[in-house]
Amino acid sequence: MSSQKLSAWLLWIYLLLFLFIMLSPLFVMGGAALNDSRFPSVYPWKGFTTQWFVDLWNDPRMWIAGRNTLLVAFGVVALALPIGTAGAILINSLSGATRAIVYGFMVAPILTPGAVIGISTLLFWRTFSIPAGLHLSALGQTSFIAAYVMLLVLARLQSFDAGLEEAALDLGASHGQVLRRILLPHLYPALGAGAIIGFFQSVENFNVTLFTRGGSDTLTVYVGSMVRTGAPPTINALALILILITVTATIIYEVLRRRALAREMAADALLK
Amino acid sequence: MSAAVELAGVSVDFGKFRAVDNVNVTVQPGEFFSFLGPSGCGKTTILRMISGFNDPTEGVVRIGGQDMRGIRPNKRPTALIFQNLALFPLMPVWENISFGLEVRGVDKTKRRAKAEELLNLVDLHDVADRRISQLSGGQKQRVAIARALAVEPKVMLLDEPLSALDLKLRQHMRAELRAIQKRTNVTFIYITHDQGEALAMSDRVAVMSQGRLQQVAPPQEIYNAPANGFVASFVGEINAFQGELSAVSGGIGEFKTANGLFRAKVGPGVSPGIAAKLYVRPEHTILAAAARPGANNIPVDVADVAFEGNFINISAKTSDGRSLTVEMRNDGTTALPPAGSKMQFTFDPAKALILADTTLPKPGNWP
Repeated sequence: MSSQKLSAWLLWIYLLLFLFIMLSPLFVMGGAALNDSRFPSVYPWKGFTTQWFVDLWNDPRMWIAGRNTLLVAFGVVALALPIGTAGAILINSLSGATRAIVYGFMVAPILTPGAVIGISTLLFWRTFSIPAGLHLSALGQTSFIAAYVMLLVLARLQSFDAGLEEAALDLGASHGQVLRRILLPHLYPALGAGAIIGFFQSVENFNVTLFTRGGSDTLTVYVGSMVRTGAPPTINALALILILITVTATIIYEVLRRRALAREMAADALLK
Repeated sequence: MSAAVELAGVSVDFGKFRAVDNVNVTVQPGEFFSFLGPSGCGKTTILRMISGFNDPTEGVVRIGGQDMRGIRPNKRPTALIFQNLALFPLMPVWENISFGLEVRGVDKTKRRAKAEELLNLVDLHDVADRRISQLSGGQKQRVAIARALAVEPKVMLLDEPLSALDLKLRQHMRAELRAIQKRTNVTFIYITHDQGEALAMSDRVAVMSQGRLQQVAPPQEIYNAPANGFVASFVGEINAFQGELSAVSGGIGEFKTANGLFRAKVGPGVSPGIAAKLYVRPEHTILAAAARPGANNIPVDVADVAFEGNFINISAKTSDGRSLTVEMRNDGTTALPPAGSKMQFTFDPAKALILADTTLPKPGNWP
């Protein structure tokens, strides 16, 4: 009995500790964004201010960096989805050593350090006289983000009944129609997850972008350069905004998901 | 009119394994034709070859007189109903049914109308907008049939479509399938390992074993005049006796067994010196108190009596421990022999067949 109580206590302590370590930096950072102090800190508290948000709003380089970040992220998603999906379909149709080799090639960029990907992207495209810039950042990031998409799609393909493809072919569908009407709809959840993960992987990417960006800034690179010259609390303001966007999006998604689930269950219950 | 489907000298090899071995068969238009055999006999391979998913290693497949070499599954006038039905889970019922029309570019209103019409044909109502997961097994079955009929195939290929259903529903769907086939007059080629299904539904049955056709004939002939020992023992219950054919006169042969010398009709291609067995169906045997003159008689002990209602199944043991089966019809006054009693197992020579013994597996051709 007492050992049960003890384990329950330990579980609670672990959980609280976990949440504390996870979340306290966020609170400190968020708090610092509202503190009227030239240095990003919550202590000593010098009074509430929205000054850092105003500064952020008035920083033109920040706006450009934000736009660049989004441009690269959308580019990466647009490239990584087809490449990752095609790779997954290919690997799924292979077996034995060929499968292992192709799989290894696809997954390798995940395990490769970002700096290596960044430098090799730069050197590779230089041989074709293509200068550095955001386009290279997108290509460099795609090389490892496509692998994440591939892993997600490959997992989803495991639950696909190949008999459905045969059934569609037998009914007269072309291979293109099978892909569009049968296989892709089955993969949509994985493609959605792949797009979201790819997007955030791109937004937060620093090291690949640093080597390939040429003269352009993205948010991570720009913030990185600001930290080098003493960190103004505008960075905290930016971080707080990003956190709020993420939390809001998550809550909206979860509410919508639960509503859809409830509708489906209600429809099923009507039939019974 | 040319044959609906013709297989001419068709063989299929998977590596060293010969799945289909020199099959020659012609299916007529509008026919309900079954391939019957145990699992692994090559019948599914034949079906996949007709639909175009496998290519024959040798020989030619013709549909409506046309050579099918080089024609892919999506260009063949066939529709296959898969064993697991392979309905599209993400489409509602009506889109499943009209999928074959959708890929042919038929517009949505026409497709919807055709789906409704086919749902009526297969006797399914008010399910057009349901999801597949909301249907029962029998309903899914009907949707699969409707989906295949939608493309107006010349030939419907059915791969054991009833095997997933429970017994009651299976028997109901048998009659239903047969009725749909008569209504649409489409050629049905049906694959099954269930002899009851094959006999009850088909115009003709092809019995297969180890990749080879054993017999192609109407159901009655398959049952009453099996071509060889495999067909006799695979289709229906049968008592078999090992022995040796000694003399033949007037179509009746003398067959020496461990239980005595019996007389029986001699089957096709059987002559003295060929490995053969004597076969007699349980319903053609009589359990008598005394030996009957002119009949074949074996003294037995009654081991078990199972009263089934319309008939009675009796298991009897010979002196050398062999188990024999007698089936008696219950006419309302039939007396049941008590277990343990000593009786004669008797059958008339005209009711028994001596057939080539082909029940042994061919060596070296089994996975």
